[in-house]
Amino acid sequence: MTPVRFEAEYAPLWLELEAALDRIERGPVPTAFGKAAPATGPAGVDAARMTALYRRCCEQLSLAQERAYPIVLTQRLQTLTQRAHQLIYRRRDYGSGRLKRLALVDLPQCVRLHRRYLLAAILLFLVPALLAGWAAYRDPSFALRLIDARELESFRQMYSNGPDEIGRHRGAPGDWAGFGFYIMHNISLGFQCFAGGIFAGLGSVFFLVFNGLFSGVLAGYLTQYGYASNFYPFVITHSAFELTAICLSGAAGLRIGRALIAPGRRTRVESLRRAAAEAVVLVYGVFALLVVAAALEAFWSAAPWIAASVKYAAGACAWALVIAYLSWQGRPGPPSVPVGAKAGDAG
Amino acid sequence: MTSPSTGPGPQAAARLDTAYAAETPEGIALSLSPAGPLARQLAYLVDTLVRLALFIACMIAAGILGAMGPVVAFISIFAIEWIYPIVFELGMGGATPGKRALGLQVVMDSGLPVTPAASITRNLLRAADFLPALYAFGAMSMLCRRDFKRLGDLAAGTLVIHARRVRLHTELPPATPLAPARKLSLREQAAIVSWAGRASTLTEERLEELAALADPAVPAAARSGSHPAAALLGVARWLLGHREGGAP
Repeated sequence: MTPVRFEAEYAPLWLELEAALDRIERGPVPTAFGKAAPATGPAGVDAARMTALYRRCCEQLSLAQERAYPIVLTQRLQTLTQRAHQLIYRRRDYGSGRLKRLALVDLPQCVRLHRRYLLAAILLFLVPALLAGWAAYRDPSFALRLIDARELESFRQMYSNGPDEIGRHRGAPGDWAGFGFYIMHNISLGFQCFAGGIFAGLGSVFFLVFNGLFSGVLAGYLTQYGYASNFYPFVITHSAFELTAICLSGAAGLRIGRALIAPGRRTRVESLRRAAAEAVVLVYGVFALLVVAAALEAFWSAAPWIAASVKYAAGACAWALVIAYLSWQGRPGPPSVPVGAKAGDAG
Repeated sequence: MTSPSTGPGPQAAARLDTAYAAETPEGIALSLSPAGPLARQLAYLVDTLVRLALFIACMIAAGILGAMGPVVAFISIFAIEWIYPIVFELGMGGATPGKRALGLQVVMDSGLPVTPAASITRNLLRAADFLPALYAFGAMSMLCRRDFKRLGDLAAGTLVIHARRVRLHTELPPATPLAPARKLSLREQAAIVSWAGRASTLTEERLEELAALADPAVPAAARSGSHPAAALLGVARWLLGHREGGAP
């Protein structure tokens, strides 16, 4: 068969597919934000006919390439198959249902799937925090080794007994500004802690240890100065979300770091890709937890009119809630839950 | 840019261009052209200007809002830094305004549209690509790879491609079909047909120069010395199946 006959014979198929693609592409654009078009024949195109046409075109492209037909011809088929491929294999299961499933099933399951990484992250945070806290409690000058003297003084003022709200720089604007600042600052930090994991996990380790040391020193120092009654009620509630988020982002970072160090039987790049696809679910959790933490820190923790006992009680509830959510939410009940409910397919 | 598709020959392994083949379940290879560091840098520059404009607009809005201003300011800084590329990549056909201006697009390395998880991953890892300064790690990663992936692209399995295809080949120009002097191998046929496809995009001199190389394929009677292109175009048309008198 010559190229000319080939084209004459199959061009009607290509034109038909082209027309179908045109109609779909000009129709309502299905974006990743939902608005899924109906599964059967968007824009009035017969889906079965289209897939059949697509497969024919794929065959014809292979033939044309193998027989070294003119490049105009193969390029036309390539463009056609590429457009059809994009439409046919496009994922459409985004939207509110997916988000609900993420929050109720995938996220807590993903956390449990990464429990070893989470444990490592907690230890990397907690051990330096306890050591530094103990050191700063015994010897207040130890705090100066880690935190600048002026900054330390401003922290001391924040938690001293004053007329203003606790935990605020004196003269800082109100609750809303605090909320905005915590969103910007803490969530950026959480994202960076995850991203640092790509350097063989070292970036995440750095963020975890550094934040552990900082928090520990601050707590030890303030306790030693007798501000415990102001400091702990302030931090107890939002720390349930904030510290969990830091450890989760650390765990996600450690996961991708480990994938690079010990890729197993995959190539390093493939191993990284798979690890990132699973670890990124943790980062969704980090984002959500830090938004909650920012709101609590701005509107609840700093409020001077709430009694310390109430804050302790709320803090205990918050911790219990977070731990219970991560430990038990989304576990498949014995019957009725489909087998496909794995954290791994959250891509 | 597509090299002559002469099938899976030995030269397919050592290609000079950066064409990236994404295989589909149907067994065909989609040819994508990854975008290099320069195009992406320019796109980033345009994006930086757009972000700057957004930032200024948000700051003006924050100024007008007064007491609620700071929260708007902080959240908009966060959104412009982290959320901006994700929103555009997912909502606007896989391209931020800068990428769109440069004709670039983010796709999965399977050739499919970028997924939310992948877009989030690649844009969070921007923080790692940026280190130690000015996207040094990202640039290093891009320069070391044929598909120009930065660290974020590696982790997310995404690819930044030129969305518009460069068209160098056109339909063959009209010529009287002419049977070649001898039976030509498939590669020889492909070379002559690709050459003819470039007839409208090459200069006349270059076309003649290349045609001279293929002189042995032209029957001795039809060789015209200084202008071998006309006869070779006839051979190319013959190879496609055109025959004198019109019936293919």
